[in-house]
Amino acid sequence: MPLIGALPHPITSAPLVLFIYLVLILMVGSALASVLLRNTLYVIAAFSASMVMVALLYLAIGPFLLFAVQLLVFATVSAALLMGLLRETTGVKASTLGPLSREGIIGAAVAAAVLALLVVVVATTSWPTGLIGNAGPGLGEALTNTYLVALAVLVVILASAALGTGLLLAAPTLPSLRGGGSIRGRGPRR
Amino acid sequence: MSVGLNLLLVATAVFFAVGTFALVARRSAIVMLLGTQFMFAAGAIAFVAFGKFGLGARTFSAGAAVALFAGGIAVAELAVGLAMAALLYREQRNFAVDADHR
Repeated sequence: MPLIGALPHPITSAPLVLFIYLVLILMVGSALASVLLRNTLYVIAAFSASMVMVALLYLAIGPFLLFAVQLLVFATVSAALLMGLLRETTGVKASTLGPLSREGIIGAAVAAAVLALLVVVVATTSWPTGLIGNAGPGLGEALTNTYLVALAVLVVILASAALGTGLLLAAPTLPSLRGGGSIRGRGPRR
Repeated sequence: MSVGLNLLLVATAVFFAVGTFALVARRSAIVMLLGTQFMFAAGAIAFVAFGKFGLGARTFSAGAAVALFAGGIAVAELAVGLAMAALLYREQRNFAVDADHR
């Protein structure tokens, strides 16, 4: 079978390469910040920045529709949900756990083991590469043709999640045995 | 200097490890949920990278479509998880998932 097209080449354009490196560094850095920071507002800000970096990475290596959806829908909805939770629970206390707590050390060890495993897999595997030249349909066309059922299922899942979130937040909760229970209408602790 | 499949996969591995750290090391339900978001995003980026450079290059849109679906599922999971975190806060006045054991 004759090969048609060329193997996909790495990106070598200097400005684009620098942009991708910068985005990757900022993405991982902001993710680390959101995990390590103690102030909830800063955590949410760092998380939102990380999601924006993911969107910018999609802009560099993926289709524009994915970038737009990631930036305008996923990042915005996530930040809005987190801010809504923060408003509902004003008075969140900072964590009392230090960076060298038992949980922190165990978590760092597990994360390092996972990272080492993934890096070993990436480094030792010769990933098969495909051909370019017959890139197929665009993302929008693929979503509305090839992945129409999956798109419909995703819409159902999102609607179910929205409904479930509303029901969870609207449901009355039982008084706590420790006396700190919730009485609806009491409002957040200031 | 160039950007290829391996660089992006290593970056996604680091991103995934950060999510794992949040899930294992932190007690806050919010941070744990954010950790799962990072893990979802890492998988999605890997799909897009494979679509761009790997076997998926023949059907470039396939990797992006999977990333789109993964993002949607992640948002749905975040919505339900945050609602549960809000209930946790109403009950315990904090987000610690193991408050009973302290």
